[in-house]
Amino acid sequence: MKRIILLSLLLGSMFSQPLLAQSATPDFMRSMGKMYVVVAVIVVVFIGIVIFLTYLDNRLTRLENQIHDNDQKQ
Amino acid sequence: MQIFNEIAVLLGKEIKLEWRNKYAISGILLYVGATIFIVYMAFIEMEPVTWIILFWIIMLFASINAVVKSFVQESRSRQLYYYTLVNPTALLTAKIVYNTLLLLLIGFLTWGGLSLFVGNAVVNTRPFLLAIGLGSLGFAVTFTFISAISAKTDNSASLMAILSFPLVIPILVTLVNLSKNAIEPLASEGVQSDINLLIAIDLIVVGMSLLLYPYLWRD
Amino acid sequence: MGNISWWKWLGVALIIYTFTAGMLVPLQHGIVEVTPRSARTGEQVTVELTGYNCNYDQQSESLKAWLKLDEEKTLGASSIEVLGPRRLAIGFDLPAYLPVDRRVQDFSLILESKEDGTAILPTALLVTQDSIDPEKGIALWVNTAVNDLTVSTGMTFPFRPIIYETIRNTYFHVALWLSMMLLFIAAVVYSVRYVRNPMPKWDSKARAFTSVGLFFGILGLVTGMVWAKYTWGQAWSNDVKQITTAIALLVYLAYFILRSAFEDPEQRGRISAVYNIFAFALLIPLIYVIPRMVDSLHPGAGGNPAFGSEDLDSTMRMIFYPAIIGWALIGAWIANLQYRMDAVREEWIERLD
Repeated sequence: MKRIILLSLLLGSMFSQPLLAQSATPDFMRSMGKMYVVVAVIVVVFIGIVIFLTYLDNRLTRLENQIHDNDQKQ
Repeated sequence: MQIFNEIAVLLGKEIKLEWRNKYAISGILLYVGATIFIVYMAFIEMEPVTWIILFWIIMLFASINAVVKSFVQESRSRQLYYYTLVNPTALLTAKIVYNTLLLLLIGFLTWGGLSLFVGNAVVNTRPFLLAIGLGSLGFAVTFTFISAISAKTDNSASLMAILSFPLVIPILVTLVNLSKNAIEPLASEGVQSDINLLIAIDLIVVGMSLLLYPYLWRD
Repeated sequence: MGNISWWKWLGVALIIYTFTAGMLVPLQHGIVEVTPRSARTGEQVTVELTGYNCNYDQQSESLKAWLKLDEEKTLGASSIEVLGPRRLAIGFDLPAYLPVDRRVQDFSLILESKEDGTAILPTALLVTQDSIDPEKGIALWVNTAVNDLTVSTGMTFPFRPIIYETIRNTYFHVALWLSMMLLFIAAVVYSVRYVRNPMPKWDSKARAFTSVGLFFGILGLVTGMVWAKYTWGQAWSNDVKQITTAIALLVYLAYFILRSAFEDPEQRGRISAVYNIFAFALLIPLIYVIPRMVDSLHPGAGGNPAFGSEDLDSTMRMIFYPAIIGWALIGAWIANLQYRMDAVREEWIERLD
């Protein structure tokens, strides 16, 4: 759970930065033919995949712990 | 031929049951009346488009309340009893036919009630009648089927809303589009495609629910 | 290496191809903007033009420009002056009358360059007539035929105003969305198999594919919102496809809520499979029919197929279709991990008994 919160914070900060930067230099996201929009989309996809992998990792850890604990009891 | 007999018997049973404990249908009627009165108090005058949208929202909530009881209300032992006696398709068909008739009644009552208090916005009756007919069928089938699903769970009432509202949105959107033709004297060109889409959706839900219900009900 | 199935490697290869080709192939020569956008008849107008992916410095002699009224009538430029590598000043002598019976006429601007290829800006210039006389207009019209257009060779992506480089998002946003549909179809297939033959593995596969499909759907929605922010102006504009996608996601979220309501795995599997099939059947009109009947900001609204030849040229197709398959295979890989995990748990529980 902690990891998910941390990741979402990271995600939030990555998104707010370009948005803040946009108000300072009005056309960062729109410069270079809006290339940075493509970059942002790819970053979103990557972060999404990482979040999903984290969720899978957590489930696997739970399963491992279950099996491990049970073995020790026996 | 046996299946038709079964459907007729089950349909008669539904109506008789409704007639014996009248509180269910009178509850729905009171609900429709109260909502229309609140709408009247809130709006007094309204645009025809608002009228159409309100009509369908009242209709949506009234029909989910009317249909939700069709499976949820029945006890497990009674369902087991049906299971030994009748064909599942006949049971579902009877419920669909009964609920469609009930929703048609609710639809016309809502129309009448709204006309009485707020005024009748419908100028072109034909598309509106079609919308009520096709809409009642679509709502009845979807809600009956989802009611059969959620009856299997413990908190069926809330699950019913969660499962059915996203699913009826396509029907609702098309109904509102079709009904918008009713507030103008001449129907627009898109009216036929809306009707076709509604018929297609109705066929899909009828077909799917008849096909899938036998797997749903065995326990 | 040896344990990984071939289709997983294929998915990785297709995604690497998508990223490399999708990011490296340049855009065509295009016109970003022209000023002024309006003129009056009879005046000599000088249009300042900003180009994209071009180098006007090197080729001032070979540049040609036309104002296009319709297929037959085009007006050649009277002068072209190079202001910089990406900037031009183009002069046009507008006639006193236009050969149309309309007060305001829009012209497209065609710019031809031997090195960079041809660029077109639709409705580049609005010309207002002082008085309307089509016959005089026809008499005065000096037609300069458009000829010697350079067809750019080599791989390029189409240049579209406002979209610019973000056309590459087709391989991420659109392809993700279509592969989501493939994953949902796979989930429905497994649900049907479970309904016909209730083995736990079919239910576990259906669940895994639905969860990855839902995940791709959320990614599609979020990437679409990022893209929309910089092309349509705002992240959420109540576009019909945004709404229908949100509804589809609600339907599949409800699927997981339904699953959590059951204790008995057999009952959970059967009823959620039935719901999955029913929901999918209702989603088809929602996703494929309704968006085509309503106006939308997305391409393909109003009766057209989602991607016409205009939106997706042959170069883009060469990357777009592999991208869909690539993303779907990556999704299938993630789903594969999930249901193998479920299988391990099943086996372990069985061994305990």
